[in-house]
Amino acid sequence: MTFKKNSKGILMFAHNNDEIDYFKLAVLNALLIQKHCKLKKEQIAVVTDQASYDWACKELGKRLINKAVKHLIFVEKDRQFKYSNIRVYKDTSLTPKELSFYNRDRCDAYDLSPFEETILIDADYMILSNKLNDCWGHNNDLMMSWDYKDICVDRELPSLHRISPLGITMYWATVVYFKKTEYVETFFNFVKHTRDNRDYYRDLYKLPGSIYRNDFSFSIGAHMISGLQDKGIPELPFKLYKSFDTDDIHSVESDNSIILYLEKQRSPGDFILTKWTGVDLHIMNKWAINRITRKFFDYVTTTTTATKTTKRKTKKATSTG
Amino acid sequence: MSAKLSKALEYANYRVTLNNQHEALKAKAQSLLSYSVNGGTFTIDRELITFCKTLITDKVKEAVLLDIYNNPIKVDTKSFYAEIKSRYFEATNEYYAEYEKLRQARSVHKVIDFNDF
Repeated sequence: MTFKKNSKGILMFAHNNDEIDYFKLAVLNALLIQKHCKLKKEQIAVVTDQASYDWACKELGKRLINKAVKHLIFVEKDRQFKYSNIRVYKDTSLTPKELSFYNRDRCDAYDLSPFEETILIDADYMILSNKLNDCWGHNNDLMMSWDYKDICVDRELPSLHRISPLGITMYWATVVYFKKTEYVETFFNFVKHTRDNRDYYRDLYKLPGSIYRNDFSFSIGAHMISGLQDKGIPELPFKLYKSFDTDDIHSVESDNSIILYLEKQRSPGDFILTKWTGVDLHIMNKWAINRITRKFFDYVTTTTTATKTTKRKTKKATSTG
Repeated sequence: MSAKLSKALEYANYRVTLNNQHEALKAKAQSLLSYSVNGGTFTIDRELITFCKTLITDKVKEAVLLDIYNNPIKVDTKSFYAEIKSRYFEATNEYYAEYEKLRQARSVHKVIDFNDF
């Protein structure tokens, strides 16, 4: 895809499955990005498919979608992949569900992005601050994080540090910053090669399970482009905070504050409360986000409208005065 | 369950929530104490502030500093110092205000500071 010089923007992927409305999450996140990072809708792109878009038009209305996102990039779904990549999603540990996980085209982010500088984020990485802006114009052409922090302090999940128990460091494809350069293009070629030759790389890197995960492809790509050195790609200039699909959301307090239930590791089904404010957060329980989207939309759209009304009033007063 | 035991469990739950909320506050403060400029990223701390102040006292107008990636970044000392100092106090004052609120909270709902309580 062609891109404008010096353009910068956020890219998300949103392919719905039978139960999870990823497109709705992307629209919500786009509005949060506009609010907190002060980016325009022209700086937000969503890669989707026709079915997800049509559903969102019915659910949200075209007006809201147009207000949130300028660049809608439509791709055809690979049907075979869609029915073969099945993942266990959880709406807390009490409700596990097996659903299709369509994540095949994330490796094409470099080709699909309409921006020279892109921050690729998951639709469920909720933007509650302006920290993403720290990436623009950075000296590093490519950045992604291997270190993450669970927002429940005494929970430790060692299996998430490496792609397999004796394997390489796991990079998180949740947030990836990249510039359109030859080096980054080569990196994405490695990632695509990993996706297209899954069986070979599964054997070589001893990948667990049969599900296709972008975290694995990006980690292998990072390992290969660094000359098979560990942690060769620099981390993002901020920490990656995560909550898991065993957690739930109690409520939204404002456009940058959420109260969550966090499951205690040593007593599943038992939760503690936490209030999370002003720091971006990856929320893996998609149903939990969907349950609070209406309230979140209210906060984001009301404040945007209020600001516009005030501006209009000020303008009117200035012109009459 | 005896009243004594249920009270003890309630208190334990309060302590866990309080501890977690402390960490959430710390995360926010740390996030505010990071500053990106001229293609580099710096963690704002007392050492960086003092070092910049020394450079200004020595009448150094421009300096090369190593950022969190150990990349050399050229900065204008005066404006850089003003920015990091202002960000440092903004972050720590906010942290202090929230921390004080948390210190006085004696129950889970006060720790979480629900709007509807």
